[in-house]
Amino acid sequence: MTTMTLNHRRRARTVAVALAAGALALAGCSSGGGSDPKESKEPKMESQDITLGTTADSTGPAKDLPGAKKGGTVTVLQRDAFEHLDPGQIYVSDELIMQTLYNRTLTNYRIDDKTGKVKLVGDLATDTGKSSDGGRTWTYTLKDGLKFEDGSPITSKDVRHAIERLYAPFETNGPTYLQQWLSGDGQKYRKALPDGPYKGKHLPKTVLDTPDDKTVIFHFDQPRAEVPFAVAMPNIGAVPPEKDTKEKYDKAPLASGPYKIRNFKPGKGIQFVKNTHWDPKTDSIRHQYADTFDVSFGHQWVDSTRRLQAAKGGDRNGMTFTNPVDPSQISAVLKNKEAMARSLTETQPYVDVVSINTDRVKDKKVREAIAWAFPSGQYLQQFGGPKAGEIGGGLVGPTLKGYDASFDPFQKRKYPGGNAKKARQLLKEAGKDGYELVYGYGNGDAHQDASLVVERALERAGFKVQKKEIDQTTYYTQIGKVDNKYDLYRSSWGADWPSASTVVPPLYDGKNVYNDSANYSHLDVPWINKDIARVEKLSDLNKATTEWIKLSEKIFTDEVPAVPTFYNRLFTLWGPGLGGVKYHAVYGAVDPTAVFVK
Amino acid sequence: MTSPSQATVAEKAAPAAEGKTPAGLSPRQLMWRRFRRDRAGVISAGVVLFFFAVALLAPLISSLYGKDPYTTYGLDRPELLDPLTGYPMKPNGGVDGEFWFGIEPKLGRDVLMQLVYGIRTSLLIGLAATVLSTLTGIVIGVLAGYMGGRTDYFLGRLIDLLLSFPQQLFFVAFMPVVTALFVSPQKETPTYFRVTALVVVLWLLGWMQLARLLRGQVLSLREREFVEAAKVTGASPWRIVRKELLPNLGTPILVQATLMLPNFVTAEAALSFLGVGVVEPTPDWGRMFAKGANFYEGDITYMFFPGIAMVVFVVAFNLLGDSVRDAMDPKTTR
Repeated sequence: MTTMTLNHRRRARTVAVALAAGALALAGCSSGGGSDPKESKEPKMESQDITLGTTADSTGPAKDLPGAKKGGTVTVLQRDAFEHLDPGQIYVSDELIMQTLYNRTLTNYRIDDKTGKVKLVGDLATDTGKSSDGGRTWTYTLKDGLKFEDGSPITSKDVRHAIERLYAPFETNGPTYLQQWLSGDGQKYRKALPDGPYKGKHLPKTVLDTPDDKTVIFHFDQPRAEVPFAVAMPNIGAVPPEKDTKEKYDKAPLASGPYKIRNFKPGKGIQFVKNTHWDPKTDSIRHQYADTFDVSFGHQWVDSTRRLQAAKGGDRNGMTFTNPVDPSQISAVLKNKEAMARSLTETQPYVDVVSINTDRVKDKKVREAIAWAFPSGQYLQQFGGPKAGEIGGGLVGPTLKGYDASFDPFQKRKYPGGNAKKARQLLKEAGKDGYELVYGYGNGDAHQDASLVVERALERAGFKVQKKEIDQTTYYTQIGKVDNKYDLYRSSWGADWPSASTVVPPLYDGKNVYNDSANYSHLDVPWINKDIARVEKLSDLNKATTEWIKLSEKIFTDEVPAVPTFYNRLFTLWGPGLGGVKYHAVYGAVDPTAVFVK
Repeated sequence: MTSPSQATVAEKAAPAAEGKTPAGLSPRQLMWRRFRRDRAGVISAGVVLFFFAVALLAPLISSLYGKDPYTTYGLDRPELLDPLTGYPMKPNGGVDGEFWFGIEPKLGRDVLMQLVYGIRTSLLIGLAATVLSTLTGIVIGVLAGYMGGRTDYFLGRLIDLLLSFPQQLFFVAFMPVVTALFVSPQKETPTYFRVTALVVVLWLLGWMQLARLLRGQVLSLREREFVEAAKVTGASPWRIVRKELLPNLGTPILVQATLMLPNFVTAEAALSFLGVGVVEPTPDWGRMFAKGANFYEGDITYMFFPGIAMVVFVVAFNLLGDSVRDAMDPKTTR
């Protein structure tokens, strides 16, 4: 999944210079830093051990929270407006967490209220799926008593329709794992059902079968170990064929979860109210405590931090899904003991890397020199320091199963400013002293500051750096062009589920070198492509996850397609009037499903 | 900022003063004498000179002080910045014997050097735009006023058109276009290019007030007897403009120019504040405000120095402009 956090620390600056200067009459002194280390508990470097839940784990109702009350309105402050409501179109972090309120999928993640441990359980299905035929066939049985918001029952036909409509041309934004596994790589799968299910055609029974109202069977052409995770993505849910309004479904989808949509005002806000046809006995993940979730958009991080910290009026019951504490206010929040008691700092699945364009920087020694010279620690400092992330050693993040915390081949943790000496030596060996690099960066504040740090470090190592600023709003389009004219550029990618299988293939498989693809390094190396295909065929989930990690490490040391800079962290607040706030480790956001008003 | 109504009276005063000249003192000497008596004027002139001296001598200050505006001291020496928040470890923005004005949060550069070099950048741009705008204003204003008729009409409409352009919005829209035109996508946009573009835009949209003012002056001057006398004796238009008109326009030009400079400096700072002016790593006064606005909750001291400097500068320059006018034109009532 991709993050929307490109325009990281950009905020509205409406104060005129004259005003700012005039306000100085009020200026006093400021106290120094040296914050108490006790105040900043960092998340432990612990990889997510997500277990597959049993049938009992999947059976509702969810255990009641002590002290939880019904009723009340929760205010949610978000920076970016939700673009999509159609579960088939959702792929960015804030929408992923939002859809857990109204959308149910075949399986889903259950977050333990106390420990925050994640378990994959059946959601619409009674369990996480039964595999047969050596992992080529997966069978799901739907629970009894499932209903849409209009009271009509959810059947296997609705699940089939939800999957088949993903083949329609207008469904362009969601994840494509299941479609590709069923009907072919890349965009080839669309040929299996070019118009979706709308002209009466369906996928053949040898691919997707619904023998009765309660059973859904997937047939794959090779073993697929990670199907239980793929069907937890928001687009593998249920959509009734007769209520499907195609493109318009994006504004008004039918709810299957505990809340339904009311008052969606694009660009402004959205409200979620109780769905009376949702039966808690069918759901082991969600609660229905608050009456309403009132989400409003356009709150810059400064704004949401200030409001949640002050917690006045309606903000007492305020929260945010993904807005972090603004970097400029981290010190103020850390000093506020009362606010720190209602905050969390957690590692997110997102890894920030600076991709090296291997089409332009062909010499591996030069790429190694870049990796040695890169000042990851000083770079992270510009984005908010340890509260915004931790220095990355490898290409995959600590939330993945099998992550090796000691893996750091270019010693990024030891040299926060980069190891210029080693880099200079490598550059000399390659005979490329004074090598010119074009460094593209989004033109936001933090990115501009970071570009200075990068330039200084690379020039110390003997590179010449040309900095090119790129407009924030089209940043990913610009760097997504295969024939772009940059050598280095930042991007961020998060695993869709805690396995490197959702990181390594999309980012480093040669198949994925095309415009707007996430393979920003344009890496197309035969041994990598072959190895990816080999690991994809492994039917043992545990074995596959460790193989993926190993492969990612080998790609990094052997090819150096990117420099990992930091693993993202979320440091955020909520109002004192709320209980049941927990962290959704898979989506890297604050989970609203158990939130109640005290 | 401009006060055309007051300046227009100047033309009457100039010849009148000439008539009463006591023996041995030229009008210029008289003006100087009046100016010296104005204490506020002398002090603000000193302040203005000080700013120019700081801007000119920035490299010397840097070598005496032993710091430069580019080194990230705070990042290179981790004990200076709090690793958790990026703010200086010491109180008051890290002000101490080594860093007199403290260090910048996050990047850890020296604030004094940033300010000194920032003033240099802003003053250079402001001065260049002032000189260009004043020259253009004189040429077009005098031309429109003296030629009259159709020339006057068209120049007048051009001035109207340009006056209606929002300067900042224009620059925001203009910069990416010229960058794409002149800079290779492989190369960084050079600093001289940004500075030139800034000066050009400030100049193009900054000369109109002066031109309009001068046009009015010339319009009334050219009907006066001494101009007619010159015409009758067969003087060329060029000679009339140079010898008869321009000497009478000195006062409004000087006054307008002294008021224009701080305007340009603040306009440049405002553009950098918005993030479209001069970019990192070139130090810039306006960008220090932008950063200060981000940091003020954790480190208000950072905003303090550029803020005070800017207030002092703008006030001093405006007082100087007033004093110059008073000295040149003692009959003006304020």
